[in-house]
Amino acid sequence: MGTEPEAAIGTEPKRRALLVWLLLSAITLGYLALDWSVDGHGAYRASTVVTTVAIVAALVKVRFIFREFMRVRNAPVLLCRLTDLWVLLIGAALLGSYFAGMAVH
Amino acid sequence: MTEIARAEQPETAGQPAAVGQPPAGESKPARVVPGQPDMWVLVLFEALAFTAYLGVYLYHRAADNASFLQSQAQLSPWLGTIDTLLLLTSSLFMLRCVQASRAGQVRAAMVNVVVTGLLGVAFLGCKVTEWVRLARAGHGFTSNEFFTYYFFLTGIHFLHLLIGFVTIGVLVYQLRRRERRSQEIVETCAVYWHTVDLLWVLIFSLLYVVR
Repeated sequence: MGTEPEAAIGTEPKRRALLVWLLLSAITLGYLALDWSVDGHGAYRASTVVTTVAIVAALVKVRFIFREFMRVRNAPVLLCRLTDLWVLLIGAALLGSYFAGMAVH
Repeated sequence: MTEIARAEQPETAGQPAAVGQPPAGESKPARVVPGQPDMWVLVLFEALAFTAYLGVYLYHRAADNASFLQSQAQLSPWLGTIDTLLLLTSSLFMLRCVQASRAGQVRAAMVNVVVTGLLGVAFLGCKVTEWVRLARAGHGFTSNEFFTYYFFLTGIHFLHLLIGFVTIGVLVYQLRRRERRSQEIVETCAVYWHTVDLLWVLIFSLLYVVR
């Protein structure tokens, strides 16, 4: 126990996980730049573009978490398709709610 | 056949890999559901439930965006970003825990799951810090519509995080003894922890980032 060589995991999965983490972290930090682009250093300002980009970026992150962290990439095709469908469903519901709210009010 | 060997069996089309040994037999791995299928039902249900909460929030936000923006400005985008990075990093370590456990590297798996838990505690600390800061500034659950959604969503997520700590406890319990170790349970616990991360990614985007 604990004496197995580290190389047994393989460097490729570790590197891949690290790259995914870097990408997800970069998108997270990108949010700050996105908000600054519309607010500057002043009061928060409404922006449909920022809202839409934020939601789409969140969905991209969710899909990466499903596929890479939750290992759906190696799961049966049904689970792959189901999680993809879920991401689309979440996106449609969130964007639909936002634009419906704007249209109604 | 030990529990862990049985759990690893679906990974290869041929014979199950021995603990700490590279898989024998055919090189192309079989596709298996990570963890127990029941957990995936829960994950997909939770994702839909949170989507409903967030959809209602967005709908009402669009109706009174100026008021929501004013309240949103009271949040700290930096704390929200740090929270997100903490959970993403915890997910990375949880994945490494699963990889190490699968490779039979129990000590590495244990280290990774402990780091995951510590990052979860750090997230919890950041969240409580923000709640206290907001409460001291006079913002509470009933202050206005934005803060009702804010405290409701972050509060429900907080509960999920606490359940996540229970799964980490189960994971540590599993890893401590070889005879009771089950790779399937390890992966089930990991799937739950990643769900906590996934839900926060959505909450962070909609509470802190949208304009």
